[in-house]
Amino acid sequence: MNRRWRPHWDRWLARRIPASGSVRLTQRRIFIVPSRVGGAFMIALGLMLLAGINYQNSLAYGLTFLLASVFVVAILHTYRNLAGLTLKAGGTTPVFVGEAGRWRVRLESSGRAHQAIALGWLPADLQSVDIAEQGSVTCELNAPTTRRGWLRPGRLRVESRFPLGVLVAWSWVDLDQPLLVYPRPLPGELPLHAGADQQSPEQGRLAHGQGADDFQGLKAYQPGDSRRRLDWKAYSRGQGLQVKDFASYSGLELDLDFEALDGDIETRLSRLCHWVLMLSERQQSFALRLPGLYRAAASGDAHRDACLQALALYGSPP
Amino acid sequence: MSALPTIPRISLTWLLVAQALVILPLLAHLPLWILALWLGCAGWRVQIFRMRAAFPTAWAKGGLMIAAGLGVYFSRGSLVGLDAGVVLLVAAFLLKLLEMRSRRDALVLIFLGFFVVVTGYLFDDSILVALFSLLPVTALLAALIGLQQSAIAQRPWPTARLAGSLVLQAVPLMVLLFIFFPRFGPLWSLPGPNDKGVTGLADSMAPADIADLSRSGALAFRAQFEGEVPARSELYWRALTLERFDGRRWSQSSLAQSPQTAQWQAAGESLRYSVVMQPSGQPWLFSLDVARTSLDSTRLMADFRLQRNRPVDRSLLYGVESWPQAVREPQLDAARRAVTLQLPADGDPRTREWAAQLKREHPHSEQLVQALLRHFNQQPFSYTLRPPRLGRDSIDGFLFDTRSGFCAHYAGAMTFVLRAAGIPARVVAGYQGGEFNPAGNYLQVRQFDAHAWVEYWRPQIGWTRVDPTFQVAPERIEQGLEQALSDEQSFLEDSPFSPLRYRQFAWLNQLRLGWDNLNYGWQRWVLGYQGTQQLELLQRWFGQLDGRLLALVLVGGGGLLLGALALWLFKPWQRERDPQQRLFRQFARLLARQGVHWQAGEGARAYAARAAGLLPAQAAAIEAFADLYEARRYAGEAIADAQLWRQLRLLRRALPWRLRVADKRTQ
Repeated sequence: MNRRWRPHWDRWLARRIPASGSVRLTQRRIFIVPSRVGGAFMIALGLMLLAGINYQNSLAYGLTFLLASVFVVAILHTYRNLAGLTLKAGGTTPVFVGEAGRWRVRLESSGRAHQAIALGWLPADLQSVDIAEQGSVTCELNAPTTRRGWLRPGRLRVESRFPLGVLVAWSWVDLDQPLLVYPRPLPGELPLHAGADQQSPEQGRLAHGQGADDFQGLKAYQPGDSRRRLDWKAYSRGQGLQVKDFASYSGLELDLDFEALDGDIETRLSRLCHWVLMLSERQQSFALRLPGLYRAAASGDAHRDACLQALALYGSPP
Repeated sequence: MSALPTIPRISLTWLLVAQALVILPLLAHLPLWILALWLGCAGWRVQIFRMRAAFPTAWAKGGLMIAAGLGVYFSRGSLVGLDAGVVLLVAAFLLKLLEMRSRRDALVLIFLGFFVVVTGYLFDDSILVALFSLLPVTALLAALIGLQQSAIAQRPWPTARLAGSLVLQAVPLMVLLFIFFPRFGPLWSLPGPNDKGVTGLADSMAPADIADLSRSGALAFRAQFEGEVPARSELYWRALTLERFDGRRWSQSSLAQSPQTAQWQAAGESLRYSVVMQPSGQPWLFSLDVARTSLDSTRLMADFRLQRNRPVDRSLLYGVESWPQAVREPQLDAARRAVTLQLPADGDPRTREWAAQLKREHPHSEQLVQALLRHFNQQPFSYTLRPPRLGRDSIDGFLFDTRSGFCAHYAGAMTFVLRAAGIPARVVAGYQGGEFNPAGNYLQVRQFDAHAWVEYWRPQIGWTRVDPTFQVAPERIEQGLEQALSDEQSFLEDSPFSPLRYRQFAWLNQLRLGWDNLNYGWQRWVLGYQGTQQLELLQRWFGQLDGRLLALVLVGGGGLLLGALALWLFKPWQRERDPQQRLFRQFARLLARQGVHWQAGEGARAYAARAAGLLPAQAAAIEAFADLYEARRYAGEAIADAQLWRQLRLLRRALPWRLRVADKRTQ
């Protein structure tokens, strides 16, 4: 599309098919044009018509007209295959930068069956699903993630070329389904806040040292050990159930601080992300300090997710 | 294109079926090795699908292509022309299946298949072939649908059913296009199929040729009269005149090819009729004497035959007006006289002598002809399709020794005698009689009705038709060949299953005549529906016709048909039965235009309140409708729907035209 017209087109589309968690494809929302195969089909029909004209053969005329009529009738069928379909946002799972983002989209039929419905984000390949009569299908769509924050993948293309492939009916749907992308975790030294608890710079160094070599080795599993720390790789090698043993920081009040790190913002956030994951895995209580934001020390999945979200959205407008 | 490049199973299945169906009706016109190629390719392809064989290598493909090209060259004698072209097309259609890997290949194959079906029509356009071709077309469409289906679909039948229903739904639109789509003349001339198998009259005749024709029950033409059908003994359908005799064969003279105008004067009543001719591969048309036709590029030649400027290689419809009592060529010019008195320099001495003797006895040509006819009638001549072989002097042998033969013998011998006696005469070849089909009120004339008779010339009176066969076997003229041969049992003896042999069974005969009537209609209204025919029909329906009206009818009619189909497909009356629901939906649509979208599960009251908040200027109108709607729907008050609609109209008027609240909000 022409760059100049793009904003106009987007605004027009936003009015016609507003963002919503549930979109029913109706006449106003479906576009339909002949596909490239349809163009080839028309050229073939033209040649057949030429044969009919030059040989004055009524049956050649007849077959040409029949196929042309099939083409026209296919407009209704192609449209019908898309119409009446409802797309619903099926939720997302947050991912880290670099992982494939996953969106779940639920397709519901309100009557007839829909065959070979393709959906996805262009220019990537579309995913094709069939929906049974009155049935529904949830499909998972993937898109690459390149930066943290809310990822809005743009309008979802839903298209159908069924039955003949000579026409393509499509719609651009915005399911208003942003995906939260966390920073990419980056291992490094433990960035502890200096000052609040009046620790000396030496103590800070010490803590860094400990952080660098926190993994102390494997020990045999004892009932009561956290299952999250099971070393499944070792188990699969036939070494029995073993638990990763980490140095404990229980004696320290851990306070992860953005300012305690050097480098650009993204690297700092990545480091913090790594430690949020690490400490959460060890069920260690920690606090998180970002410029303009402080999360008091706590532990657990909710705390972890809140911290990750804070990291993901740092610097973006509220 | 779609993500899956491979060809789904269903599509491949239907492609294989389609290929068989496409080729089947063409087999009679294809060399035998095509059959072997087809079986080989299909088998190989199935093995590839079952992972038991590999795709052909580039070498194998090249080899197969060269082999197919050579095969075409050796079986057709060339690589150009329609016959060779069709074989090449079919070979490409078969080989493409083998090397087909991607969806694009499959598409090419499907389009090729449609082309092969069209070329099949050039060889045979009968009603059965046309109906049969719906099968390969449906199978090809099923293959096209199969390409679009996801790989989960496994059963082939629903795909074919869908293809079939698409074809059925397309039929009304196709009929509309067929009737109204303007027909053009050929844009450039193309070679037609070489119909070596077509039987019919040729431009020269030895008696055995007519005997060959008499063994064929194939249709030559059908004729429909406006008004009474003339008596059978008057139905002499002229095709051409044979004026040159070389002692063995009668053939067209070179004079017959020169463009002269026929000299004749209309007299008496005229007959009007139309003829639908089967392809004959020859340029002459069949007519009663003396004919005038409206068909373009056709003229009446000096020997009173109708001649077209190109051979009739597909069935042809033409209207004719004939004057049977017309005076033909009252003055004979010298060239024509010489041609119609021509005899070989020697041979048949006994006949020449007898002719001289007749000439002495009967100085007037009229008397001489009568004497000759009496001779045939009274001497022991017999009518048979199995005459004894004749020696070198064939006319002598026939007249004085064997005395048995059929029309060609009698006509040839009589013309010889007349010429030897100095009377200009010639053999006319054509058809005589025909079978009346009461179901369709027309005559059907078959190859076994082929006949030869004599014309002789007298000053002022011109050419007069005389038929010596009538003297020997009057039943041949009055009833037909079957009756003339009833003793001999030689009627259609080579075709024991021809329904024509079983005319004595009434029900079978009814069936046969009904079927022929259907074919006649097919030829007249479908195959013959070209330029003039279309123009006549459309002018009868619409009076004056122009391109704009035609386009209007095509577009308007097509729109109506499509609309009806859409109604039938979508059944909108089943979608929203509840009128109040419809009202609310309309309400939501109005507000959505202003950027206030109804959310699933939101009540009417809450939605109206939200909308009123965002559109304060129209709050009153919005609330008014919501109140009325609630009262009607939930409190069950007796409020007419019309009142609600009125309220909705008020709201519509109150709302500005597409004020973009939503956009303002986001900025």
